[in-house]
Amino acid sequence: MILPFFIIIPLLAAFLIALISGERDNWAIAVAVIAMLALLCLALFGFVTIGAQTQVYQMGAWKIPYTICLVLDALSAFMLVIISGIGLTALMFSVFYIRHLSTSWKYYALFMLLITGMNGVVATGDLFNLFVFMEIALFAAYALVSYGSRAEEFEASFKYAIMGSISSTLVLVGIAIVYSATSNLTMATIAQLLPQNPTVMYFAGGIFLAAFGLKSAMMPFHAWLPDAHSSAPAPISSMLSGVLIKTLGVYVLVRLFYNVLGAPPLFLKMFMIFGSISILVASFLAMGQWDFKRLLAYSSISQIGFILLGLGIGTRWAILGAIFHILNHAIFKALLFYNAGTVEMVLGTRDLRQMGNLTKILPYTTATSMCGTLAVAGMPPFNGFFSKLIIIIAAVHAGHPIYASIAVAGSFLTLVYFMKVQRYGFHGKKVIEREGVKIGWGMRTAMIILAVLTLATSLLILPGIRTAVLDPVVAVIMNKTGYITQVLGGNL
Amino acid sequence: MVSNLTLIVAIPLIIGLVNLCLPRVLQKLLTIAGLAYLLYLVYLIYKGGGEAAHLYGSVIFAVDKLSLFVLIFIQVLSFIILIFALKSIVPSDERFFFPLFSFTVSFCNGAVITTNSIIFLVFWGLSGVVLYLFGLIPRTDAASQSAKKTFVLVGGSDVFLILGLILVWFLNPKAGWGLWNTQIGLEGELAYIAFFSILIPAFAKAGGFPLHTWVPEFAKDAPIESVALLPAALDKLLGIYLLARLMFNLFQVTLTMHLLVITLGALTVIFAVMMAMIQHNGRRLLGYHAVSQVGYMIMGVGTGNPIALLGGLFHMVNHTMYKAGLFLTLGSVEKKTGTAELDDIGGLGKQMPLTFIAAVVCAFAISGIPPLNGFYSKWLVYQGTLELIQSVGRGAQIWLLICLMLAVFGSALTLASFMKFLHSIYLGRRQEKWAGIKEASPNQYLATLGLALLCLIFGLWAQPLPLAKFITPILADFGLNPAAYLGSYQPIPVLLLFGVIFILGLLVFVAIKKVRYDAIYLGGMEALEKFRIAGTDFYNEIKDMKPLRWFYRNAERKHFDVYDLGGQGAGWFTKLFQAVHRGILSEYNLWIVLGTLVIIGVIYWLV
Repeated sequence: MILPFFIIIPLLAAFLIALISGERDNWAIAVAVIAMLALLCLALFGFVTIGAQTQVYQMGAWKIPYTICLVLDALSAFMLVIISGIGLTALMFSVFYIRHLSTSWKYYALFMLLITGMNGVVATGDLFNLFVFMEIALFAAYALVSYGSRAEEFEASFKYAIMGSISSTLVLVGIAIVYSATSNLTMATIAQLLPQNPTVMYFAGGIFLAAFGLKSAMMPFHAWLPDAHSSAPAPISSMLSGVLIKTLGVYVLVRLFYNVLGAPPLFLKMFMIFGSISILVASFLAMGQWDFKRLLAYSSISQIGFILLGLGIGTRWAILGAIFHILNHAIFKALLFYNAGTVEMVLGTRDLRQMGNLTKILPYTTATSMCGTLAVAGMPPFNGFFSKLIIIIAAVHAGHPIYASIAVAGSFLTLVYFMKVQRYGFHGKKVIEREGVKIGWGMRTAMIILAVLTLATSLLILPGIRTAVLDPVVAVIMNKTGYITQVLGGNL
Repeated sequence: MVSNLTLIVAIPLIIGLVNLCLPRVLQKLLTIAGLAYLLYLVYLIYKGGGEAAHLYGSVIFAVDKLSLFVLIFIQVLSFIILIFALKSIVPSDERFFFPLFSFTVSFCNGAVITTNSIIFLVFWGLSGVVLYLFGLIPRTDAASQSAKKTFVLVGGSDVFLILGLILVWFLNPKAGWGLWNTQIGLEGELAYIAFFSILIPAFAKAGGFPLHTWVPEFAKDAPIESVALLPAALDKLLGIYLLARLMFNLFQVTLTMHLLVITLGALTVIFAVMMAMIQHNGRRLLGYHAVSQVGYMIMGVGTGNPIALLGGLFHMVNHTMYKAGLFLTLGSVEKKTGTAELDDIGGLGKQMPLTFIAAVVCAFAISGIPPLNGFYSKWLVYQGTLELIQSVGRGAQIWLLICLMLAVFGSALTLASFMKFLHSIYLGRRQEKWAGIKEASPNQYLATLGLALLCLIFGLWAQPLPLAKFITPILADFGLNPAAYLGSYQPIPVLLLFGVIFILGLLVFVAIKKVRYDAIYLGGMEALEKFRIAGTDFYNEIKDMKPLRWFYRNAERKHFDVYDLGGQGAGWFTKLFQAVHRGILSEYNLWIVLGTLVIIGVIYWLV
């Protein structure tokens, strides 16, 4: 039973780091890297072996519904792979990047807590535990956003904390409503009992949509994200934009609205509407940005819009597109944040107008940023092209040509504002002479790995590979409340 | 056994990948050997060796007569341009140029031989990506701006192609993801959205009005070999190829749509040539002509009858030859002088005679001087339009006649513009600083003369060679009757007539033989450089003419540029949304509360 280790390992690592590290961060790095490697291996092992099955771990030999249960199915295993995969590259990047801020072990302890929270959210089968793990992740995130200790970072962190707390309150209210109606906190049992009381289901659903919509930065609940994601240190930005908003936001929305509430059409329609608003409005906002990381942050809101649109359409292809886009966005957005971080470290600015002509001084960063740009803009043969293509196909096929057109328009706008990034950020005339620029090998390797992945993950669309990798995840979501029988099994 | 069609895509792709890590000499050798082999492969395919390639049980690559025709000329053109590029690229740029060159050939080949919409989308998009990367090679500020503009228009139009092809699949699910024969009737708004969504990328790629504005900018700033390869040659082939598929295979087009496309074609001709006339930069001038000529192709393919289609497709391949030739001759000059500003050059004809001859032939071909190929194809396009005029109502007749007149007038302006071009570079007084310039290197003049020779051959033997061998068979594939030619234009008698006139002129010259060479007389003043008349001043008056002055002034301020207009429109939206993002926490919290209330309200209302 590997399930509890997804939580134990990072949690233990976080405390171990606090215990054994002295002034320097060497031991902290070692522990963190070992923990992340172990997590990645475990997650990959879990994903490969789980297939169409579901594993349930019930703590302390108590039985559902009295126990705290952990659930591993293809969807959660998929998310765990993303968390630990991107987490590992973020750690590689951090080792060299964070030292220019400080050499304290605290960063790594917080980082492992962030991982603990996210893994917990994904692995748990219990609504209240989900809340608890979510708070763990968020508190780590608040601290990490302000890690640079400058005024703007504290401001961003403060805003993030306030708005995060509002959403957490909403989550708690939702849980209270559900608990009062079902006297249960295990999600599978709730799924079984809640349909008997549709009013409560819709009401609680509405509150959860607002609450987790905020976590996934869906418009109009997005306002915390541009500040937080642009102020955090680059590897944390990439964890937040690439992974956190998807685990705390999109994953929970999928789990709750598909597997627990059974995908009511009303909520799916709302996903589509909010998704479309996010796609368009965030694209225009990104277009007006000169701050590289802020532009990326707005782009994240827009890309989350694509995912929500796919989830809202709700057909098999649409879900496939959404799931694929979750993976792809994690990869290319993390990559782009690393690029932004590298440029910021070398030039000391995030303003695109102050950059330019980086081909000579930062060849790897420039080349990998091109991969990231083409991927996010949806250019073949990069992964973003295929996931957006599938979402658009699904929208047309499901009889939503208007939404398909919105996705197309969003895709076009994405291209436009990322062309701005390339033109002003990496090419253009500004002659910048920097002698002896050194960006540690870990940073370079992290960028190269992700750049290769933007191409390699395109292969997931080939029929043979798709059935093995993405289809089981789609099956979990499409199976809707089949989750109940999968989790409760003999307990029914 | 791997299909030749797979090989013709895979080989240049592999060469490009290998080239990324080879030293420069090997890069060139490998590329030239590979492209020579592709010529052989395309010969095999032409001879019937083009069996379809399959993936997952369905056909992915196949050739019909149209794709075969385009495929052949992709190989021919890229081979000739590669010969030029072997010894012309700035050494520091070679490292990326040659891999990109192979990739370009591979992607363009893939786009024209695939029968599957999704794979077409991939190759089509990739051909836009390589265009962008070529544009970034020079690493200047202007180049990065042009590359951005190019990719926003070309790459951005790809997303419309995605929508269009998906709608085609949705409207005719029986054809699967087939690209070649869906024959959807133009009824209902979805069909129209699909039609226009495919028209947009075809226009953007080929450079049709109003999506043409990237061509002159790209032509000005990118390496000239890549300009000759993509915007001048392969992009035309791809864009018009897609337009032909759209008009003949994908949709059953109505007369209104024919008229619309023809009108856009005529506007492309006239607007672009008007802009070309006033250019001072040789590259921009040629860039505008690369747009203007697309107008004839669009008219030809858009008209939809056999003879116009013949003309349109013939003009497409003719254009690739003479326009690539013109860009490359300009390239040869630019490599020697370091500038493409027409004001600065002049009188180079004596020093670069072979380049000059190639440029003259290509310039005459583009201007539609018989017996060269450009005349023949324009002639066919005019005939086709006339034929359509005979079969439509009175209003449409007048409309089409106006379009036709614009096109014919455009041709005259093209000639005028190329007089300026030739004069500015090769004739007139030479500046002292260019005294030491010599003829371009052999690989360069061989390539340009080769293209000029092709223009001549395709003009003189248009009927037996390109039309009979490649283009007429396409008509049958499209279910059209063989074209009935109007009029009786015969290129060889015309050539003989020109020959007789030339000989008569020569005789007069020899008979009189009273030639006097004098120093330039300027009212007793010294013939200083400032008194030199550069060809660029030829048409300055036009710029100041009353009705045109407004047009030119606004055009130069980019008030008609769809790229800038779009930018301004988007900027308005951006400002609007930014105005409500003031960074005030309480406002943001209010949104959260309001958002939640709206959700709950909607639920309360509906459930």
